[in-house]
Amino acid sequence: MTVRALADRWRGLTVARRRQILAPVLLGVGILFPLVTSNAGNVDAAANAFTYVLLALGLNIVVGFAGLLDLGYAAFFAIGAYGYGIAASGQLRPEWSNLWAPLEWAGQVSRLAMPGQPATVQFHFSFWPMLAVSAIICAIFGMLFGAPTLRLRGDYLAIVTLGFGEIVPVVARNWEGLTNGAQGLGGIRTPKLFGFDFGFSPYPYYFLGLALAAVGVWISIRLQESRVGRAWMAIREDELAAGAMGVNHVHYKLLAFAMGAAVGGLGGTFYVAKLTTATPDMFTFPVSVMVLVMVVLGGLGSIRGVVLAALFVAFLQSVILQDLTQYVHVLGRVVGSPFLQRVELITSLELIFGLILVLMMIFRREGLWPAVRRVSALTREQQAAAPARGAAVKLSWAHPPVAGGSAHPLLQLERLSKQFGGLSAASDINLTVHAGELVSIIGPNGSGKTTLFNLITGLIRPDAGNIRFDGQDIAGRPSHEIVAHGVARTFQNIRLFNNLSVLENLLVGEHVRLEASVLGAIFRPPRVRAEERRAASSALEVLEIFGNRLLPRLDHPVYGLSYANRRRTEIARAIMTRPKLLLLDEPAAGMNPVETLELMDLIKALRDLGITVILIEHKLDVVMDVSDRVVVLDHGVKIAEGAPAQVRSDERVIEAYLGRRRRTA
Amino acid sequence: MRPGGQLLLEFRNVHTHYGSLHVLKGVSYEIHEGEIVSLLGGNASGKSTTMKTVLGLVRPTEGTVSFRGEPIHALRTSEIVKRGIAPVPEGRRVFPRMTILENLEMGRYTRRTEPGGDEELERVFSLFPVLRERRHQLAGTMSGGEQQMLAIGRALMTRPALLCMDEPSMGLAPRLVEEVFDIIRAINEQGTTIFVIEQNVNMALSIAHRGYVLQMGEVVLNGTAQELLENPLIQKAYLGGT
Amino acid sequence: MSAFDVLFQQVINGLALGMMYALLALGFTMVYGIIELINFSHFSVFMTGTFVGLVVLSLLGVTPGSASLTGVPLVGILVVLFAVTMATTGLLGVLIERICLRPVRHVSGTAPMITTIGIAFILINLVLLTWGPQAQRFPQLLPNWRWTIGGAEVTFKQVVLFAVALILMIGLSHLVRRTTLGKAMRATAQDADAARMMGIDVDRVVVLTFFLGSALAGAGSLFFGLYYGFTGYYIGYTTGLRAFTSAVLGGIGSIPGAVLGGVFIGLTQSLGGQLIGVKWTDVIIFSILIFVMVCRPNGLLGAQTPRRA
Repeated sequence: MTVRALADRWRGLTVARRRQILAPVLLGVGILFPLVTSNAGNVDAAANAFTYVLLALGLNIVVGFAGLLDLGYAAFFAIGAYGYGIAASGQLRPEWSNLWAPLEWAGQVSRLAMPGQPATVQFHFSFWPMLAVSAIICAIFGMLFGAPTLRLRGDYLAIVTLGFGEIVPVVARNWEGLTNGAQGLGGIRTPKLFGFDFGFSPYPYYFLGLALAAVGVWISIRLQESRVGRAWMAIREDELAAGAMGVNHVHYKLLAFAMGAAVGGLGGTFYVAKLTTATPDMFTFPVSVMVLVMVVLGGLGSIRGVVLAALFVAFLQSVILQDLTQYVHVLGRVVGSPFLQRVELITSLELIFGLILVLMMIFRREGLWPAVRRVSALTREQQAAAPARGAAVKLSWAHPPVAGGSAHPLLQLERLSKQFGGLSAASDINLTVHAGELVSIIGPNGSGKTTLFNLITGLIRPDAGNIRFDGQDIAGRPSHEIVAHGVARTFQNIRLFNNLSVLENLLVGEHVRLEASVLGAIFRPPRVRAEERRAASSALEVLEIFGNRLLPRLDHPVYGLSYANRRRTEIARAIMTRPKLLLLDEPAAGMNPVETLELMDLIKALRDLGITVILIEHKLDVVMDVSDRVVVLDHGVKIAEGAPAQVRSDERVIEAYLGRRRRTA
Repeated sequence: MRPGGQLLLEFRNVHTHYGSLHVLKGVSYEIHEGEIVSLLGGNASGKSTTMKTVLGLVRPTEGTVSFRGEPIHALRTSEIVKRGIAPVPEGRRVFPRMTILENLEMGRYTRRTEPGGDEELERVFSLFPVLRERRHQLAGTMSGGEQQMLAIGRALMTRPALLCMDEPSMGLAPRLVEEVFDIIRAINEQGTTIFVIEQNVNMALSIAHRGYVLQMGEVVLNGTAQELLENPLIQKAYLGGT
Repeated sequence: MSAFDVLFQQVINGLALGMMYALLALGFTMVYGIIELINFSHFSVFMTGTFVGLVVLSLLGVTPGSASLTGVPLVGILVVLFAVTMATTGLLGVLIERICLRPVRHVSGTAPMITTIGIAFILINLVLLTWGPQAQRFPQLLPNWRWTIGGAEVTFKQVVLFAVALILMIGLSHLVRRTTLGKAMRATAQDADAARMMGIDVDRVVVLTFFLGSALAGAGSLFFGLYYGFTGYYIGYTTGLRAFTSAVLGGIGSIPGAVLGGVFIGLTQSLGGQLIGVKWTDVIIFSILIFVMVCRPNGLLGAQTPRRA
């Protein structure tokens, strides 16, 4: 079979299938490598490389998935390292008390009694539980360091993390009692497994490192393709829109910091167990930058990219630069240049890092091996079998209102007011919307329509007044909570998650209706798998509403879609939250008359399914046709309300749009 | 000022796009020396894109924009302004932490080396006495109406041939709006051609000589102010209807 | 010396130091004000400036072993030293802007900041590879005269450097507040699009800002060399973080804020070093930084609310 045919065959496989093939192959290569190479130095270098892989994977979670630029990542490396180092060396010698007895029984500490001195505790915690403990301690620190950054913008966030990244080695250097200061910890015990001591041979560390790296990759992949990962990527792409789709940014940002820190801590514990020493200089800012270089080089968010880049950087350091130096020395002898004969390329490692950062940012921001666009589980047949336009709109979870039943008030705005720097955006607004209605809000530019939406959905807090939804007071609540109650919206200037596909955007919409947590995401118990399947079929159901517009583009990143399709995707995403109330902000903007009619039919159909809709629009003829009721705003004040025909001929409305007639000629 | 003079600004079949969105769909305008021409239309009609295109902040994908017969649509903003077009941007955009005097000085930036700056300053102060009073006050601390005066005054500092105003009535109380439009008329009577983009139809047409009505990126109506005011289709263009 | 005298001494030291941080913070804050970029490479330009100074002095025949100078030769050498070094660092800043930063200027997110980290690393390592890791002695140009005020000492060095810094700051203030060009810079910082509409060439203003800011960093670098008598490839780091904190504390984008912040941090460093211990200075200053960023991002005088999210 030719190479070309093999490549085609490969491309035709689904991602799951590719993984089924690649995983055992890669693992096999990994396991065989030390058996095949005769040079123990290579094995040692490879074992160290696995530390880099873990660090890169950890930072990839924070920066790549969640978009939080952490410039002090080495802090977690340090905490994981020192955590194990202190627990497994003779550094701390507290006085013995019987509180330590259970740990002594478990073999983690010993009682050391020297003649003439009070008894002290000798620490020799076992490596394996310390792996878990390290990860947990680092996760806690991750949240601690991340908490102050929650409301900061990107560059300030980076600086604060840089600050913490600096404080940790300074503390390590100066808190001599805990860390032995600049000299560092020594005599850290090596791991033991069933009586076998890892000692100083690189081989057991290699296999341990391989296992840890494999686990790291597995966790990353699982997280990326879960509800948690989608929430992170939504925050990265557009935090505001993520909140409007129900993602709690505080929760998920802290989670990203925690997970990233935990993986970094694993790397630290492993590294220090192998090295048996830990000094503050191992965790300075250049180390954080090195990990950043790995992630930038590989591709932010790309798991395979950061792994490859981590291996590359590790080998650059341990092997490649050494070899290159030899060649340069030879060249120097040939050319007769003493400078070339003396140069040690390893000292230019950081220079190379700097060059990589600058060149990557200018020329290839997505990295060398960006994340592969995932082919979804839909076959071509399923995609093609999409109903044509005009198909009936049906949603399995929507309940059409009972005929003849009285409509209860769903949304109540009472005396709602909001000022922006002296200008009144909303002035004493009173409005009641009943379940099953389709209400349109119209008004000239700057009349406060979008402000009203922002107030209802929690993006801004009112200065005065109440907002009640389904009997609950929602004024001033955070947007993700309001979504959970059943209010969804679209934005005037379209806020999609640009680098995510259509399907991924929709799945974020499902966020509040799903439950998987981090553990669920990683381990995928049957409950979670069922949930994901349901979510995917919900998404397909919603996409079918749009006929064959969006289904063929399921996996396309939305930044490449046409304007009209981007609008449709945003509406679909909002519908995914299963709202009782749907707020659409100028959904037909940018659409031609035919597309607009199609959209209006859809909105009517949604209303018929029992979803209450509030529409902001400028194309008044369109609004007149679909609305049960029209509300007119001008300068933040409600100036008219009623049936469409009635409003359209209202003098005040005409004047609001065209402007008051001049009093002087 | 007698309108109908030489052709000053011309849009010929201009198309613009915003990503894949087709915003202006082949619009053509003519503005002659001495006129006040008003560009009207509802939201999302393409009004502010027009202003941005004049100033070179948006480039047409098709069509030409010419000033005094020479194409300007490919020039940088600073070049365009140097040729004699001065903007009064939407939302005023005064420099908030600079004084009124400094703002006016910035208005004269393209002619900063030429003499006559003091005369222009006097002219602006006589049009807007409140600016003279407050000339050392920071622009950001002024009211909306005062900032509007400043924005207009700033644009006049180069004695431009063409003044482009984007929604001067926005955010102003009705009484102030009348005042502003009175001033616009006065400026025109002193010789400046004015292109006003405005949502407030009645106010705009009360001072303009001619107007164009935009709807969804296309010119749907044009004519003299009188013709437009009497045209029932104007209501339709704004409010939609049967 | 009584406790008061010790404190007074530290106040004097702190004020002198503060001027150096202020010079460095000024350049940094000016760039931020115009293009909202946290320019890490600024502090490496500062560090490079000390080495430029070394080269200039050696070309003038002044080596670390030379005796100090007085009178006309001193003034002459100082003028040449400052002029040439500042021009060189200014040009370096312009080069950095044109080659590395302009391509990423309109990229949202953290790409621009990452680029500046890369540039910083490149500069630091170029210096490291050329001069090696050891500290370099800086010529003791200024004679070691001292005067006593109360129970404390003021050195000639401190006076001269304080004066030079003050002159530069007054010059900058004049430029920014009285000249048309300076006003164009302020206008661009406040509203770049409106500035364009006034016919201001924003790209040129950015280049000028980089030049001025980097030149000031060059002045600050000479301050360092002449004051401490040494330099090394790593000084951009700690001094940089302190200058950065000064800028943020004073209010990022605010020129008077940078001066105020610089003086505050200078005082914090000397008083803190005296009262708490020198090895904790970094932690103290970092804590101030984090505190300001989280609780009061506008700093003391900043009016510019960080916009970009």
